[in-house]
Amino acid sequence: MINMAFCWLILLGRAVQKLVFGELRVSEQQQLRDKFWNFVFYKFIFVFGIINVQYIDEVLLWCSWFALLGFLHLLSQLSKDRFEYLSFSPRTPFWSHVKLMALLAAIFALSGFMLLVSVFVGFFGGFNTFAFMSAEVVLLAIRTLHIIIRYALHLYDIRQESATAMNTSDEGKAWEKRGPISYYTELSFELTALIIDLIHHLHMLLWSNIFLSMASLVICMQLRYLFHEIQRKNYLWVRNHLEQNYPMATTEELQNNSDNCAICWEKMDSARKLPCTHLFHNTCLLSWLEQDTSCPTCRMALNIQTPSPTQMEPPELQADPQENTRRPFNHFFHFDGSRYVSWLPSFSVEVSHIQAIRQNHVTASNSQLDAMARQVQTLFPHIPLSVIIDDLRVTRSVELTIENVLDGRLVAPPIFRDLDINQQTSRPLTLLQSNAEPSTTRNWDEFSTDNVETEDTVMLGSRFSKSSSEREKILHRRKENMIQMARRRYIEKQKAAAAAAARSDLQS
Amino acid sequence: MAGSALRRLMAEYKQLTLNPPEGIIAGPINEENFFEWEALITGPEGTCFEGGVFPAKLIFPPDYPLSPPKMQFTCEMFHPNIYSDGRVCISILHAPGDDPMGYESSAERWSPVQSVEKILLSVVSMLAEPNDESGANVDAAKMWRENREEFNNIAEKIVRRTLGIPT
Repeated sequence: MINMAFCWLILLGRAVQKLVFGELRVSEQQQLRDKFWNFVFYKFIFVFGIINVQYIDEVLLWCSWFALLGFLHLLSQLSKDRFEYLSFSPRTPFWSHVKLMALLAAIFALSGFMLLVSVFVGFFGGFNTFAFMSAEVVLLAIRTLHIIIRYALHLYDIRQESATAMNTSDEGKAWEKRGPISYYTELSFELTALIIDLIHHLHMLLWSNIFLSMASLVICMQLRYLFHEIQRKNYLWVRNHLEQNYPMATTEELQNNSDNCAICWEKMDSARKLPCTHLFHNTCLLSWLEQDTSCPTCRMALNIQTPSPTQMEPPELQADPQENTRRPFNHFFHFDGSRYVSWLPSFSVEVSHIQAIRQNHVTASNSQLDAMARQVQTLFPHIPLSVIIDDLRVTRSVELTIENVLDGRLVAPPIFRDLDINQQTSRPLTLLQSNAEPSTTRNWDEFSTDNVETEDTVMLGSRFSKSSSEREKILHRRKENMIQMARRRYIEKQKAAAAAAARSDLQS
Repeated sequence: MAGSALRRLMAEYKQLTLNPPEGIIAGPINEENFFEWEALITGPEGTCFEGGVFPAKLIFPPDYPLSPPKMQFTCEMFHPNIYSDGRVCISILHAPGDDPMGYESSAERWSPVQSVEKILLSVVSMLAEPNDESGANVDAAKMWRENREEFNNIAEKIVRRTLGIPT
């Protein structure tokens, strides 16, 4: 009987796999196997070590219970992997989304049912049995629900994307809201899963003292995760900081700035402005500042690491005291502890924007100055670095220096200008040479199809197809073309070199 | 997360296709997985890698513009800043947090305003001018410093191999 039940389970598993996933990828198989053995091993220890069952039918009951659970666990894990994989691809058929969602919903429903069963059993078997049985089920349910919600968010996202073509203003708002929502769901799900896991383990620990070392090891690992999770909370106050210190850009500023957001490369309908006048989407900026506290464009360090009480004051532009700004511009994780110690007397000042920039830059370190100088130099390569740095020392702002250059207040010394002219004249020459070379030596008969192919590349290069298979094909053709061209050029050069060598041989 | 990364990668792919920089082609190997690209880089003119077309693989993280991609040449390479397994060691590919060598200023590191195009262009300039202070391949760095002729010979062989021309 039991054997048959297991057989049916396996068959069912196969069927579901065929139906929903089709062929499994190698990495998925690998992970599935790992998970499976892990689960079996773990539950084996649980059944014999912790509950210490005596009778064979009890063992059988536990085993079948866990087999069913493990099966569902594996399925949910698999669908999570598959979901992550699908989210990597822009062209997923609608149907596979439906199938995956249906499977997830089924798993969720089944876990709810199993929870009911465990309540029922627990009613007769006592609290401990219930707790042991239900813990895993609840975990399963939570994980599944988590995946479902993530999936739903992702689908919503994709829909939004296709909707953007029609109306852009709506999307901006939805996007703004989506960031915090996804963050909170992520956080709450992971936290509840971890807490339940923790309670489960603690329970096991109390129940049996035999496997103390083993279980406590696992618990320690869980605790570490929990700790890590809670550390992520600084997201919250990065956001607060952002909202209080950096104003939203006005509509005029947005209109003047025609660029897209530099982080996601999408249009900005609303944006937040950093003290260095760079604009970004609110959510994009937030997720970057979580990992690094500098402006993505100009690397200006932001003084996020000082959540001083003065932030409760009206949201004017704040200039922190200079002692604070001297700190290293590292991850703000390290400043979590010190932020209670460093309640240095901050003052809030109302200043115009340019002054704020200057104030913030007073303590800019040398490396920052260097970086700024390099930035200016990429715009104006004819001006030597030293001149730029000198000017930056005075202006303390990339923008002001660039303005100086544009207004002609900052010019390159004459030597450099000469050099620049030389470079400019020499560049077209080399270009000409490289262009001329192939055309003069193109009378090798094997390359007679040359002209057709070059035309082809021009056409290929200036098109971005809507259909992905066509894109793939074009990319492939372009790559092959490039290798062919390089080959041809190389052979020609070799022949030319050989000919030149032969000529010089003849002459001598 | 992956949604916005996908959109950004699509935008970059489009840009690289419509305005490809000289001697660079890049795009997803298979559009089933948009986070794995292949790039072809032409060796810069006037250097020992001139004429070669070097294939490389780019692997993007799910939170892409926030974390840098990984880049690995899939052909044989001999260069001071490329590990012997093909991984590329340049500062633009390092996240601001970690500093394995301890010498890079954060200004040259990864930031979300960087892009595939900028990475590939810096790889081209790295091919042209190796930085022999960061020795990803110590042998290559040593040879580059002390025995340039030998280095050029090896580079020439690699160039031929990438073009499928017998040496």
